[in-house]
Amino acid sequence: MSTNQSDKAMQTISPETLRAVYLSPSECEFFKSENGFLGAVIGEERHERVILARALPLSCPDEYICISDVERKEIGIVEKISDFSESQQALINEELNHRYFSPVITEIKSIKEKFGNFYFDVLLGDLKKNFTVKDLTKNIRYHGEGFDLIDVDGNRYRIINFSEIPAKSRRKLEPYLY
Amino acid sequence: MKEKMTKKGPPNGGPGKKEKEFHPSLLEKLNEAGLDTRNLIFSLEGDMDFEQCFKSSWLCFDDKGLYIALGDEKLDKVKKHHTPVAPVFRIDEIRSIPIDEIDSLETESYLSTGRLISVKDGVKEPLIWFTLGKLPDFSRFVRAFNSYKETGTADIKEDDKHEGKCKVCGEPCPPGKDFCRRHRRTSGTAIRLIKFFGGHVPQIALIILAMVASAAAAVFVPQISTRSLYDNVLSNPDGLPQAEVLKALGVLVLSIVGLRLLNVVLTMIQQYMSASIMPRVMYDVKVKIFEAMQRLSVSYYSSKQTGSLMDRVMRDANNIYWFFTDGIPRVIIDGATIIGVVAIMIKMNWRLSLVALIATPFLVASLFFGDKAFRRMHHKVWVFRARTGSMLSDNINGQRVIKAFAKEDDEYDHFSASSKNLRDAEVHLAVTEATLFPILEIVVMLLSIVVLGYGGVMVARGDGSMTAGTLLSFIVYLEMLKEPFGFMAWVTNWWSRCADSATRVFEICDAQPEITEKENAVPLDNIRGDVVIKELDFEYEPARPVIKKLSLEVKAGDMLGIVGKTGAGKTTIANLISRLYDAKDGSVSIDGTDVRDLKLGDLRKNIGLVSQDIYLFIGSIADNIRYAKPDASMSEVIAAAKAACAHEYIMKLPDAYETRIGAGGQRLSGGEKQRISIARTIIQNPKILILDEATAAMDTETERNIQQSLQKLTKGRTTIAIAHRLSTLRDSDYLAVIDQGTIVEYGTFNELIRQKGEFYRQYKIQTEALKTIGIGDDAETNSAKEEQKDEHESE
Repeated sequence: MSTNQSDKAMQTISPETLRAVYLSPSECEFFKSENGFLGAVIGEERHERVILARALPLSCPDEYICISDVERKEIGIVEKISDFSESQQALINEELNHRYFSPVITEIKSIKEKFGNFYFDVLLGDLKKNFTVKDLTKNIRYHGEGFDLIDVDGNRYRIINFSEIPAKSRRKLEPYLY
Repeated sequence: MKEKMTKKGPPNGGPGKKEKEFHPSLLEKLNEAGLDTRNLIFSLEGDMDFEQCFKSSWLCFDDKGLYIALGDEKLDKVKKHHTPVAPVFRIDEIRSIPIDEIDSLETESYLSTGRLISVKDGVKEPLIWFTLGKLPDFSRFVRAFNSYKETGTADIKEDDKHEGKCKVCGEPCPPGKDFCRRHRRTSGTAIRLIKFFGGHVPQIALIILAMVASAAAAVFVPQISTRSLYDNVLSNPDGLPQAEVLKALGVLVLSIVGLRLLNVVLTMIQQYMSASIMPRVMYDVKVKIFEAMQRLSVSYYSSKQTGSLMDRVMRDANNIYWFFTDGIPRVIIDGATIIGVVAIMIKMNWRLSLVALIATPFLVASLFFGDKAFRRMHHKVWVFRARTGSMLSDNINGQRVIKAFAKEDDEYDHFSASSKNLRDAEVHLAVTEATLFPILEIVVMLLSIVVLGYGGVMVARGDGSMTAGTLLSFIVYLEMLKEPFGFMAWVTNWWSRCADSATRVFEICDAQPEITEKENAVPLDNIRGDVVIKELDFEYEPARPVIKKLSLEVKAGDMLGIVGKTGAGKTTIANLISRLYDAKDGSVSIDGTDVRDLKLGDLRKNIGLVSQDIYLFIGSIADNIRYAKPDASMSEVIAAAKAACAHEYIMKLPDAYETRIGAGGQRLSGGEKQRISIARTIIQNPKILILDEATAAMDTETERNIQQSLQKLTKGRTTIAIAHRLSTLRDSDYLAVIDQGTIVEYGTFNELIRQKGEFYRQYKIQTEALKTIGIGDDAETNSAKEEQKDEHESE
C-alpha cells in the first residue's frame, strides 16, 4: 500500500480515525469479467466484481476513486486515475462513465417554465430529448465551466462548458442560472 | 390510495393477461421480425440499449423465453390537447434468452441509469440499460418475471399511484390528472388574480365607474380652459360687448372649477373604496397561501428554502397588493384618459392627430418586449433576495457554531458574495429602467415639437383648418398623454413584478400534496394499537432506496426497539408509520387497516412522536403543552408536566407556566425542552408512541430523568423506540437491528445478546465505553443468568 498520502494525512488526523487505504497501480489491477463486470486483483485478493465511486464527482472526477466490493464495503481508494496505465485507465473510465452516465446537452431548443417546473427541449448531439426539472435552483450541480441538470426522475444531463453552447441556447437558460 | 391489482396468468403458466399491451403495429413489426407475440405474459417499453445509448426498446417474456427488441418509434407531431396519431415502429434487433437460462432477474441503479441483470446459478449477467424514469416499470417487470419463475404466474401487486399518461404528449402525469404539468390547462395569471376580487363586484364596479368619470372630467377641462377660452371668449369672434365677454369668462371659470371639484370627489370615492377592499383581498391571498402551505406534505418543505417560502407569503403578497392598490387604478384612469384624449384629438383635427400618434406602434412594441425582459430581471432579483435571506437566517441560527469555529470572516465573505449578486441584479434592473423610460419620454417630447410645428403652419395658413385655440388645446392634450403613456410603459414593469410574484403564489396554491386522504377514508376510533409493516420499500430520491422489503410487527401495548447505524432508515420507518411520507411499495397498517386508507387526522391524533429535534412554538409553556389539545384544563397541563418530570423546573421559573418560550423567549436547556415536548405528547394521549432518539442529545443525568418520564408515557401504549444508546432499550419487548433499510437481527434484548451478532457487538462497544467512566452493567452475564434460570424453570 502506498503510504506517502497516508503519512501526510496523519499529520493532521489521528491514526485511530484514519482508515483510508490508498491503492497504487502496483497494488491494484483491474480486469473485465466474462459477463462484462469490472473486477480487480487488489494485493493478493481477487475480486470478481468491484464498484467504483467518485469521491468528488463534480470538481475532480478523475481523482479519489473509491473501490468497494458488491456489498459496498470499501477496499481502497485510487488517488489519481492518471497514475494507471492507459489500458487500466480505459477500464476504469468505462466503468465510471457507465455509473455516472450524463448525456451531454449540445443545444437547448426551448425552456418553458410553469409553476416551478422547467420543461427542457434539448439536443443531445443528434438526439432530441425533453425532460422536466423541478425547482431549477435546487437541481443544478455546478462543475468547472458547466453544470449538471437533474430531472424529476433523477436523470442527469450535462453541459460541459456553458460558454461553448450556442448563444441562443445560452440566452434561454441564463435568466435561471443564479 | 393503494388498490391491489393482481395480474395473473393461467394456472399452468400459459398465456395470461399482459401488463402493458404493445401497440398493434408494434406487435405486427415484432411478428414480422420473427417473434411470436401470441402468448406474451408481460411486456415493457424501455428507452436504452445494451451499450447505454438512448434507443427505443421493448421487453417481454412468454413461457419459452425473455425477448429484448431494439428499434425506433416515431410519433407524428401532436397538436395541443389532441389525440396523438398512430406511432410508426422499426425493429432493428431482437435478442432472445431461453427462459431456462435465467433463474431470476434483478435491477441495479446507478447515478442516472439502471441496468437489468439476469441471474443463473448465482452468476449475474448484465442485460439492457434504462434511464431512472423507467425504473418503476422495470421493477414491475422483474417482479412479474420472478413471480412467474417461482409460481408459474406473473402475480404482482400493482400500485394505483402509478402515474397515468398525459393525453397530449404521453408523458407521466399526476394521479387523477389527464394532462401532465406542461399541458395542464390553467387560466392566466391575471384572470386568477382578478378572481380574488370576486366577493367585491359592486364595490369594484363603483370604483371603475368613479375612475372613468374622473378621467372624463379631466379630459374635458382643456376643451373649456383652452379651446373655448381662446376661440370663443378671448378672441371674441362675434364682437360681443365687454360685459358679455366677462360673463362668458365667468361661466367658463366656474365650469373649470366644477369639473376639477368633480374630479377630486370622484378620486376620493375611488380611493376610499379601494382602501376598504384591498386589505381584505390581500388577507384572502395570504390566507390562501398559508392554507395551501399547511396542506402540503413534509417533502415539499424539505425541498424549499425557508427564505423563499417566507418571501412568498409576505413580499409576493405585498407586490400583488401594491399593484392592485396603486397600479390598477392608474391603469384604468390613464387608459380612460388616453382613449378620451385621442377621441377628442381626432374629432378636433384628424391630420394633426395622425402626426401626434405616429409613435404609438413604437410605444406598443416597447411595452411588449419590455414586459418579457423585466419579468426575467425581477425573477433574478427575487432569487438572489431569497437566497440572501436564507443565508442570513442560516447565519443567525448557526451563530454558536460559527463562533466556535471562528468562521465570522468566512461567513462575512459568503454573505458579501451573495449580497453582491443581489446588488448587481438590482443595479442591472435599475439601470435598464433608468435607460428605457427616459427614451420613451424623449419620444413623446419630440412628438410635441412636431405637433407644434405642423399645427403652427396650419394656423399660420389661416385657411380655417386650425384655430390658435385648437392648437393650444392640442398641445395641452399631448401633454396630458405624456404621463399616461409613460405610466403605461412603466406599468408593464410593475405588472411583471406582480405577475412574477403571482406565479410563485399560484405555484404553492397549485402544488399537489403528496399525502392525501382518500375520499372514503376509514375513521380510526377505539384504536388497539397493532402495527404491522409489510414488505416496505421507500426512497426519498428516485432509485436511492432507503427502506428495502422491511417487515415488522408490534402488538398492541408492546414496545419495539429499533437500533441501527446513522442513515440505516430508522427515522424513515417512524415517518412512514405517521404517514409523513407514503411507502413506494408494501404497507404499514394499524389494527389491520393500511394507513393510506385511514383518515389522516385520526391517524396523526393517535400517533405521538417524541423526537430528537424538539420544536417549541412561540408562546407560553402552558400553550405548548396543550398544543395537541387546546381545550385541556390547567390541571391536565400540570398533570402532564408532572408526568414528564417538567413541573418542578417550570415552577422555578418566574412566570412558571406562563413563561414565554420559542424565538425570543426564555432560554431552556435541551432536557427542559424535551420534557415539555414529552408533556405535550402525554396530553395528546396517543395510542401509538414513537420515540425517535428522544434522549440522544441529553447528558446521562438528564437522560435518566427523561427515561423516567418516558416510562410513564409508554405505559399501556404501543411504543416504537429508536435509539443509539442500546441500554435505553432494555425494556423493549422486541428489538430490531436495521442496516441499510433491512432488518439484520430481531429478538428480545437477551436473545440478541446471546446471538452475539451486530447488536451484541454494538452493545459491547457502548458498555466498554461506559465502564471506562464507571457506568454500565454487564448484560452478557445477566443474559447468561437469565438463560440458566429459563433452563431450570423448564426442567
